[in-house]
Amino acid sequence: MAPTKTIKNKHAANRSGVKNSKAAEKSRNDGVIKSKGKPKGKAHTLVTANKGRPNIQELIARKLKKKTYSEKDLAIPELNTVTPVGVTKPKGKKKGKVFVDDKESMATILAIVQAEKEGQIESKMIKARQMEEIREARRAEAEKKEAERKARLEETKESLRKKRKRSGKSHGGNDDDDSRDVKELASAGTKAVKSKKKKSVSFAAE
Amino acid sequence: MRPLTETEQKTVFEKLANYCTDLKSLIAPLDDGDRYVFRLNHSRVYYVRLSVANLATSVSRDALLSLGTCLGKMTKTGKFRLHITALPILSEHARHKIWVKDNGAQPFLYGSNVVKAHVGRWSEDCPEHSGVVVYSMADIPLGFGVTARSTTEARRLDPTGIVCFRQSDCGEYLRDEDTLFAG
Repeated sequence: MAPTKTIKNKHAANRSGVKNSKAAEKSRNDGVIKSKGKPKGKAHTLVTANKGRPNIQELIARKLKKKTYSEKDLAIPELNTVTPVGVTKPKGKKKGKVFVDDKESMATILAIVQAEKEGQIESKMIKARQMEEIREARRAEAEKKEAERKARLEETKESLRKKRKRSGKSHGGNDDDDSRDVKELASAGTKAVKSKKKKSVSFAAE
Repeated sequence: MRPLTETEQKTVFEKLANYCTDLKSLIAPLDDGDRYVFRLNHSRVYYVRLSVANLATSVSRDALLSLGTCLGKMTKTGKFRLHITALPILSEHARHKIWVKDNGAQPFLYGSNVVKAHVGRWSEDCPEHSGVVVYSMADIPLGFGVTARSTTEARRLDPTGIVCFRQSDCGEYLRDEDTLFAG
């Protein structure tokens, strides 16, 4: 075990003044062995201390700083991300509501809305007019059909009347009777029902 | 109290355009250099002079009950409902009009629709489902509604047929007194 030597006066140790003298060498290796790394570190800290504090903080910050990964770097499928696709808000856009208070922007919105509405109303009117035309045409067609049907009925009536006249003349029947029959037929239409005699009730006098 | 956002402004204009023809006159500058603006407070939309709106900024939101003319209310789904308080503005620029006879005025003011028998006059070329302002025969605006039939169709309608669905009428001033201005 090497004997340890305490030095009372640090500055007096190398009093010889000669750099490579034996005394100087002795004093340098005077039994106390120090690790080579430590003094260096000590010296370094001293130097840094001299430079100022921000550097230490910088070092600490550098140590603490870890690489952060954005979701883009990770290449995760869109549906697996924390925020759903539709919810993400565009970056760089102003937060909050955008108010419309100036005259110009209000006028532009108004012009757009009015043009839209006018167009809608116009198309509605055109549509209504077209529908009305179609309805009118259908009504005219129905009226025409009705008139045709009536004409056909009249024709058949007329033919029946003529037939009866002819047959009446040949049989020598009464003309008045025939005309009455035709009238009855016309009033009853095609579904002619036998004319019944009106029933009468008589009460016996007491 | 705040100005309307772009979408809100658009919905308000769209609703007004159903009833009014000339919307530009609503925001046109006045003779004294002032102009009318739209303001929103407690989800109600007010049509107010800019100078009055600026003065109203000194009143806190909660304390401000009403200012200018209340046009209607923004619903939570972003739609806009016109109130009867907007009638003076609508009647001034009405696109289509219906005049109801005296016997039809009371049923309308009590909240029923307008039937054909009660119609005195009707503006021509009125399409179906378009906004219409209802007047009495003395030209007093009573309310507004939506047409049930176009003018030509309504001519063929029977007297009890509905020609106009009521949206709002002056009777609401009494019937909805509690909720019309607050709540």
